Amino acid sequence: MIRYTLTRFGLLLLGLFVASVLIFTTLRVLPGDIAQLIAGTGSTPEQIAGIRERLGLNQPLPLQYLDWIGGVFRGDLGSSLLTGKSVVSELAEKSEVTVPLGILSLIIAVVISVPLGVLSAMRRGRADGTALSVGAQTLAAVPVVWAGMMLVVVFAVWLGWLPAQGFPRAGWSDPWAAFRALLLPALTIGIVEGAMLLRFVRSATLQAVGQDFVRTAAAKGLTRNSALLRHGLPVVGLSIITVLGLQVAGIIVGAVVIEELFSLPGIGRMLVTDVGARDLPKVQGELLALTGFVLIVGFVVDLVHRILDPRQREAA
Amino acid sequence: MLRRTVLAASALLAASALVLTACSGGAAPTPTTTGKPDPDASVAIRLVLEPGNLDIRETAGAALDQILVDNIYQGLVARTPQQEIVPALASDWTVSPDGLTYTFTLREDVTFHDGQELTPQDVVWSLTTRKNTPEWRDSSRLANVTSIAADGQDIVLTLSEPDSSLLWNLTGRAGLVLKEGDDVDYKTKANGTGPFILDSWRQGDSITFSRNDSYWGEPAQVAEIVFDYIPDNQAALNAALAGEVDVVTGFDANLKEQIEGSGDFQLVLGQSTDKGVLAFNQTSGPLSDKRVRQAIRQAIDHDAFVEALASGETLYGPIPALDPGHEDLSDVAPYDPEAAQALLEEAGVEDLQLTLTIPNFYATTIPQILVSDLNEVGITLKVESVDFSTWLNDVYINKDYDLSFVLHTEARDFENWANPDYYFTYDNPKVQELFAQSLAATDEAEAAGLLAKAARIVSEDAAGDWLYSGASVVAVGTNITGMPSINVNERLNLAEIAKSNG
Repeated sequence: MIRYTLTRFGLLLLGLFVASVLIFTTLRVLPGDIAQLIAGTGSTPEQIAGIRERLGLNQPLPLQYLDWIGGVFRGDLGSSLLTGKSVVSELAEKSEVTVPLGILSLIIAVVISVPLGVLSAMRRGRADGTALSVGAQTLAAVPVVWAGMMLVVVFAVWLGWLPAQGFPRAGWSDPWAAFRALLLPALTIGIVEGAMLLRFVRSATLQAVGQDFVRTAAAKGLTRNSALLRHGLPVVGLSIITVLGLQVAGIIVGAVVIEELFSLPGIGRMLVTDVGARDLPKVQGELLALTGFVLIVGFVVDLVHRILDPRQREAA
Repeated sequence: MLRRTVLAASALLAASALVLTACSGGAAPTPTTTGKPDPDASVAIRLVLEPGNLDIRETAGAALDQILVDNIYQGLVARTPQQEIVPALASDWTVSPDGLTYTFTLREDVTFHDGQELTPQDVVWSLTTRKNTPEWRDSSRLANVTSIAADGQDIVLTLSEPDSSLLWNLTGRAGLVLKEGDDVDYKTKANGTGPFILDSWRQGDSITFSRNDSYWGEPAQVAEIVFDYIPDNQAALNAALAGEVDVVTGFDANLKEQIEGSGDFQLVLGQSTDKGVLAFNQTSGPLSDKRVRQAIRQAIDHDAFVEALASGETLYGPIPALDPGHEDLSDVAPYDPEAAQALLEEAGVEDLQLTLTIPNFYATTIPQILVSDLNEVGITLKVESVDFSTWLNDVYINKDYDLSFVLHTEARDFENWANPDYYFTYDNPKVQELFAQSLAATDEAEAAGLLAKAARIVSEDAAGDWLYSGASVVAVGTNITGMPSINVNERLNLAEIAKSNG
């Protein structure tokens, strides 16, 4: 187990390093730079050169990379070329929106998908099971943006229960208002992600039904459903944990879209704005933090899976 | 498992490489209201484009001028929405008959938001530093000024030659007055003399102004203004219908019925200096032939743009109706696909293939109309939709394009057609000479006449095409008064906005 953990950890570090190089180099391929954007239309080449010089954009690329990665090891992700604010503090501020949004979305997705997925598997072949399955298939194919707009029209414009967009300026000092602001966006991500998860839960459950130990339990006198619930579900649970790890990346991508749609001041919207503004120190800091988070979640999921699954534990 | 998470992580990377928000034009005026203005009111205004930072000295972009000039920062003179020049920090001014000496009388008892006093030396320092610092915006607009001096409360500007655009330039960035030696962090804070104080900036969300209670002029009629940055028009409509904003600028006139349906908003169309410019790279290739450019202009049905946007008007030359020197030039390039085809034949051009480079925040209807109109006369148009940084790099800086579309919002920007180095790549010495003469004219009417003459030549040369002149499209809450309606994209002076509870 220790060897396994160390190997996985080594791979995690390697993944982070590769990600940092990829992030740094791909961003340098983008045409245009921030000096041009600051100078804007009506500028002269001399003006742009002056700004570029002052921002340190003239340094050789390897030097810029070492500068950046050296800072990362000290916990310093650099600072914005536009506002001078540190990337770490900006990330901390914006995560007040994005982290609760992600957690809420994940909860909604799980609450929808697990019971309904198991139900639809147990009811396979019957009308309600088929209806659930077809419904999930349809929902999973719905674009997040469209789902969000429909929810806004119903709950914000028609019923007036929830805000249509934005986040309270007072932030979490008014927890109820902040929660209300996140509910529709989280529902939007949660329903679409949940529908995808539901299909997974259903097929994992169906697979479990066919397993030898479930059949054996049934042969020993349990009904098919209680055999499944008692012996099959732990296996399904394991698979769900694995998929949830992947789902986190999906939720982050969803947050980028949804924060734009709902004008939420979160990490996703900040990222889109910063890419547009070519504020590269900020973009690479944000991307490294996000990819790092996804990689770490993957690492943790692998370990948890290992610990929970007795078959894998023994194999180790 | 690890491989899958790496994949997921790189998918995230790829997703974030997609980009950018939207922008468009906007403005709004003053419907009637019955209630009394509430001096404690907070007004929420939807804007489209958020500034990257607030550095009014250096950072380009109408997003800064729109909210910061007039409301926070002021100059000696200001301009009204109708584009008239009026006193601001100077109570009065005189111009010598030879047009070489401008004398401004600075108001007394003006303070900056942090309490510091405005002195004549602050004005001299601001203008001098602007002139001498090329990185500051519009620094070159003070090029003709040879000396800036204070004499008591009088500020005297001496010019090397007459400059009919000087006063106008002083109403913009070039003329803004800052406190000498101020240590404010201009990127995220502000310290000006205007009727509003920058209260907070929640990046990615909103900017809040509060009333300046020690303002030298009439104090603002609302306690607070919140600018909500909502890029998407549908989201802005939802916010308005849910009662979250009082004013929606940069709106889509096609959504008029939806927003007015609630009875709480009125859609207002104001004039603007927004010009939808189709630029031709005429340095080489088929587009260097005037007949080909003229053919493209005549192949385009300009009325279709006005119809598709449900706002604005047609424009057939470089000067919009709000600016001096405007005249109707529709006779120069009437819609006539047959004439266009004949011109192409005459020029010996067949199967012409062109690429249009367009920033991705403009409505897709614009390239769609162009593609179909040009297809009619046998020109194949490929559309390359790019983010604004890419446009700046490829088109603006490197001039690597065939056709380009951008909405030029700046007022009085004819100078770009007289600058052969500008991305328009138009070089006609006659136009440059007429423009120089218009600058040197000491009489306004004479200056405008010279500009009109130059503009006609630019249009006759088919130096570019002007697809439409945009309108400021603003939805104003029925309980709001004093909301400007003209050219709101460029300047949004909120000194008179008021909100009633009724």
